[in-house]
Amino acid sequence: MTDAITVRNLKKEFKAYSSRSGLKGAFRDLLTRNYKIVPAVNNISFQVKQGEMVGYIGENGAGKSTTIKMLTGILTPTSGEVIVNGMNPHKDREKFVRTIGVVFGQRSQLWWDIAVQESFRLLKKVYKVTDEQYDSHMSHVIKTLDIEPLLDKPVRKLSLGQRMRCELAAALIHNPPLLFLDEPTIGLDVLVKLKIREFLKEINDKYNTTILLTTHDLSDIEALCERVVMLDEGKIIYDGALKSLKEKWGEGKEIEFQFLEDVTLNDLNRITASSEVKWEKDEKKAIFTAFAEDNDELISLLIAKVVADLKVKDIDIKETSTEEIIRNIYDRGIS
Amino acid sequence: MFYIAIFFQYVAQYMKTRMQYRADLFVEIFSDLLFQAVNLIFILVVFGHTNLLGGWTRDEIIFIYGFFLVPYALFSSFFNIWNFNERYIVKGELDRILTRPIHSLFQIVLERMELESLFGAVTGIAVMIYAGNNLGLGFSWTDPFLFFLFVIGGMLVYGGIFVLIACISFWADARTSIMPMMYNIGNYGRYPVDIYNSVIRFVLTWVLPFAFVGVYPASYFLGKEEWFLYSFLTPVIGIVFFSISIVTWNSGVKRYRGAGN
Repeated sequence: MTDAITVRNLKKEFKAYSSRSGLKGAFRDLLTRNYKIVPAVNNISFQVKQGEMVGYIGENGAGKSTTIKMLTGILTPTSGEVIVNGMNPHKDREKFVRTIGVVFGQRSQLWWDIAVQESFRLLKKVYKVTDEQYDSHMSHVIKTLDIEPLLDKPVRKLSLGQRMRCELAAALIHNPPLLFLDEPTIGLDVLVKLKIREFLKEINDKYNTTILLTTHDLSDIEALCERVVMLDEGKIIYDGALKSLKEKWGEGKEIEFQFLEDVTLNDLNRITASSEVKWEKDEKKAIFTAFAEDNDELISLLIAKVVADLKVKDIDIKETSTEEIIRNIYDRGIS
Repeated sequence: MFYIAIFFQYVAQYMKTRMQYRADLFVEIFSDLLFQAVNLIFILVVFGHTNLLGGWTRDEIIFIYGFFLVPYALFSSFFNIWNFNERYIVKGELDRILTRPIHSLFQIVLERMELESLFGAVTGIAVMIYAGNNLGLGFSWTDPFLFFLFVIGGMLVYGGIFVLIACISFWADARTSIMPMMYNIGNYGRYPVDIYNSVIRFVLTWVLPFAFVGVYPASYFLGKEEWFLYSFLTPVIGIVFFSISIVTWNSGVKRYRGAGN
């Protein structure tokens, strides 16, 4: 199998100008401006195989968008090597972009004033898609995304959710083997999100489309991606399966108790004194949470002890969510 | 070939959109015509006081003005890039352009065209016929071809200069007010350059060659033999300036840094 994306020692630096303060500073800025070179993406390397769905995550300003823009040929890298679909994106730009589809959640690809189907028709010409290809492929896309009734409406009259579904369809008109999605579900409601996820899975299955996805919504990634690439300050800090990320960084389990009687933290600490547990109390809802190591025996022992001594109303065992894991990693660093 | 097909696709799309806003379309055509009328009246007023301007008669200058309107109409139909900086750089619309398989400048030309400006060409030709009649100009079979060649040359001069100015946005991130100033300078090209001093003449010929949009090519049809060399340089200057602007554009796109997300 060939690699859809190969990135080696990729680097992108921006000049960041800073202005001096005050009127005197403004005059000095006229002559010489202070700037420092800020690396937005700093020496990253990774590979993506054809047919993979990869989640690309990081905080704001971590360099996600910059990477995507280099992979799509919008930005020229400062140094390093990018090969996508066997081409150098910014060198063979016009030939290259025929083999990718791009959706930027915050920017429309469609023409604002004209009906959706007119936009599709124009894009079909731009990408030199034949009628047969278009009919066989797009009728399916249109049906799955449920945008049939929107086709004759101008884009400016669509709601965000409707527009995003049309954007996605527009990015797929030429049935590209590689799809870049930059925050495709930003600001969408749950139903639309689910529909989009289902659809992405489907085209991945059907056409073996490679999908690279950036998002703030980790549930997208949990639903779609087996693999995540995590970025912080322009560097890759994790690249691997989502599952092993959880195993490695998921810090034990949380067990939430609600009691029928009045209980204090002291009571609980006394009851479970023999095992290693940390208790916390949520004042508002009177929920007590025990943090324990992810060890089934230890946990059942713990529950047995509590239940033997106190009347319990509700018990809930929780795994640390991906979101929490990632927050922990960013707070404390990877080491 | 592909580009020509795409061009007509966009034109068709453009017309469909425009038809939806008919009132808008008429207002725009009307204001265009009004603008041209004001310019013409200005020329007539000047010649109400004098019969000759640096050796040029009233009708000759009207003829030049008429000629100027034609390449200018083509230019303003297809090179609406005066707000390139805000629209494409600051708002990051260029991102979208760059993910499509057509040359970026050509896409912007297609997206921003305003075909109603082409009516200016009709006015221009009418003005030329009127002035040409007054002057009793002859007509030869080569004239339409040369006219076409000169008009395209003039449009390319205009287009080249404005594309070059738009390119500044790739290097400097601040907004510049050069665009409106350039529109003003462009207007100098429609008067005979020998009424200006030699520095301005040099600038209008070789640096910002707006003279090739109006007076130089029009001189050929007016039979001003001393300017014939310049008349025939029109397409050359057009191609040279436009090529320079394309090369600059292409290297500018490489420097594009995108808008933050």
